Amino acid sequence: MKTEIKKLLKSIQIKAQKIGRPLRLMELCGTHSQTIAQNGIKSLMPDNIRLVSGPGCPVCVTAQKDIDIMVGLALAGIPVAVYGDAVQVPGNLMSLEEAGRKGAEVYIVYDITEAVKIAQKKPQLVFFGLGFETTTGMTAWAIKQGLMVYSAHKLFPPAMKALLANKKIKVDGFIDPGHVSVIIGVDVYCQFPIPQVVAGFEGKDVLIAIEKLLTQILNKERKVENAYQRLVKKEGNLKAQKLIQEVFKVADADWRGLGKIKKSGLKIRSKYQQQDAEVVHKKLIQKIKKEIKIKPSACQCGLVLQGLVEAKQCPLFGRSCTPDNPQGACMVSVEGSCNVEFRYVQNNK
Amino acid sequence: MSRITNKLRSLLLEKMEKNKTIELEAGAGGKKSNDLISQIKKNLMFQSRWKNTDDDGATFTIGKEHLTFTADAFIVDPLFFPGGDIGKIAICGTINDLSVMGARPIGIALSLVIEEGFPEKDLQKIIQSIGKISKATGVPIVTGDTKVTEKGKIDKLEITTAGVGIAKKIIQNNGARVGDVVVASGNLGEHAVALLAKRFNYQSKIKSDCRPLILELQAVGKYLTSCKDPTRGGSAAVLNEIAEKSKIKILLEEERLPFAKEVVALSELLGIDKFSFPSEGRFVATTPQKYASKVIKILQKYNSEAKIIGTVQKGKGVYLKTSLGGTKIIDVPQGKLIPRIC
Amino acid sequence: MCLAIPGKILKIKGQIAKVDFNGIQKEINITMVNAKIGDYIMVHAGFAIEKMDLDRVKDIQNYLNT
Repeated sequence: MKTEIKKLLKSIQIKAQKIGRPLRLMELCGTHSQTIAQNGIKSLMPDNIRLVSGPGCPVCVTAQKDIDIMVGLALAGIPVAVYGDAVQVPGNLMSLEEAGRKGAEVYIVYDITEAVKIAQKKPQLVFFGLGFETTTGMTAWAIKQGLMVYSAHKLFPPAMKALLANKKIKVDGFIDPGHVSVIIGVDVYCQFPIPQVVAGFEGKDVLIAIEKLLTQILNKERKVENAYQRLVKKEGNLKAQKLIQEVFKVADADWRGLGKIKKSGLKIRSKYQQQDAEVVHKKLIQKIKKEIKIKPSACQCGLVLQGLVEAKQCPLFGRSCTPDNPQGACMVSVEGSCNVEFRYVQNNK
Repeated sequence: MSRITNKLRSLLLEKMEKNKTIELEAGAGGKKSNDLISQIKKNLMFQSRWKNTDDDGATFTIGKEHLTFTADAFIVDPLFFPGGDIGKIAICGTINDLSVMGARPIGIALSLVIEEGFPEKDLQKIIQSIGKISKATGVPIVTGDTKVTEKGKIDKLEITTAGVGIAKKIIQNNGARVGDVVVASGNLGEHAVALLAKRFNYQSKIKSDCRPLILELQAVGKYLTSCKDPTRGGSAAVLNEIAEKSKIKILLEEERLPFAKEVVALSELLGIDKFSFPSEGRFVATTPQKYASKVIKILQKYNSEAKIIGTVQKGKGVYLKTSLGGTKIIDVPQGKLIPRIC
Repeated sequence: MCLAIPGKILKIKGQIAKVDFNGIQKEINITMVNAKIGDYIMVHAGFAIEKMDLDRVKDIQNYLNT
């Protein structure tokens, strides 16, 4: 191990010890959860520091309803395109992957330009627009190219606000998302009275963020620090913001687990309504909503996403819900809290 | 519109009946593959003088030697890729399955199913690459079969090879012992990267690592306690198999990982774990500490990237010691390789 | 969320740049950034989302060394 990492870990140990009480630090972004898992960072933390995952996996927070609508469109014979991340997420009826097996035309794309290309041959194609600010710019670009989109895009700060408004959630500091911040900048976080550090995605970036959070907690400070200055500018990416602004308008949105959050989503402006699947397929979508019944489920993804319940406390965990047969989105994503937990438990039995 | 609604309703019913169909993941070398194989085996008879230890093939002991028998079916998209084609994989795959068991391959059977309309020129190219490997390794194609199907019944071309070899000592997957070291015969995952790069429009100099493994395994086989070629499911799948069957834990070290920078880059770009990338001309093995430097020295004559990548310890599972000093589980891949953006 | 990887711009043609990621190259859409040949950009799902500030890369090293 490099001496600088040793020093950093030592400093984390000392500061955690000085603080003494148990601390919960939340990484808001799913990619940070991934960095933490990939580098085994949880195994390096002092006993009184818990790292909890927040609602920053766009796949995990996508409402069941939105999956159902995409599945419904696909089953109704409309070709759909989707990022690989979302294809296995179960809806009330089935996942898009299953719809594909039933003969629906489901294209997995890695990059929205592939969807634009497919749409040249299949103009009916509907792209499932999901993700936070980082991914919204490309969807805006593609809509301007003429691609039809069903928008489930979400804004990050309203989710943070909702988390903090829930008094049951006890968090001592946030590791703010790196690539969302690339787009939206840093100032927007100042409204939240909690220690925060914007961090990059290397293992040491996350360790630095943890160390800085501990320093703030120790000094009883509540500020926003940018530890990802090599990429994140104070004002964000203005070009991307302008593009998003031009195509999308802010609207209320449903989040898995967090429910409806005011002004937390993005819908397509009427100027581009011919590219808006919700407008073009309005009647069909109403039918789908009526037809696909909400399946009662004991899945507790929602609570897991807020850090209120641990994966293994969910009654489905490890029983009817496994990575092979996921019941909720947290079990789908390889770095989703339930998926990670399942694999640890299995190996350490 | 009512037609659509009816369709949805019938799908709902069908869903409730739980008609089980084979999923694509069941062919990807992960957990679902293992489930499918056990389902298949349930209805087949396996008791005989043949021994099948869940390795890549079965063995039949004759005197002091073991006859070794294996079969493998090949479907590859695209058929031609940087560093090889389906023909080269088909012959190398069977040669390697025999070789990693410690056997010297002595003959191959080759069966082709060709879709009507397949270009003759391409077929000749594929057969030539089989011939080239057969000649270079001295392993003859001794029998075979050829079928042509109507257009649309299969996708272009399917090849099945079966092979027979002779071994003095069978290398099994359950032989790894605490105190052994884990070696890789070269950098891993380059076959997957050559294919994935082509499929997702990346350009790179990486070629498939597809090649026969006869010579190096003949040279080091006697020192190995377990050995596998990381094809489907990549190194993650085979290391977990060795750990599970040998009832030990494998600890890899991040600073000694056998991956070229391009493999790491594509893994990050597509969001696919590099440990799940298949190779078609590499093996991972365990060897007692006392032979480690000898084994590496021999292997480096064939591939300068051969190296020790970890150690065998008490416990279970496969773990990676990260460069930050943490530990991470290397799990069996769950299904097919889907690129992610998050 | 959001996997993103830094790469170096080799060529630019309109809004499309050829970008090298440690030996793997791909055409990347650079609509959302002001970048030139030789710049390092962070790429997410086929699009550049920001230019890397190479002076700031040193910051992290400096922080680690203090």
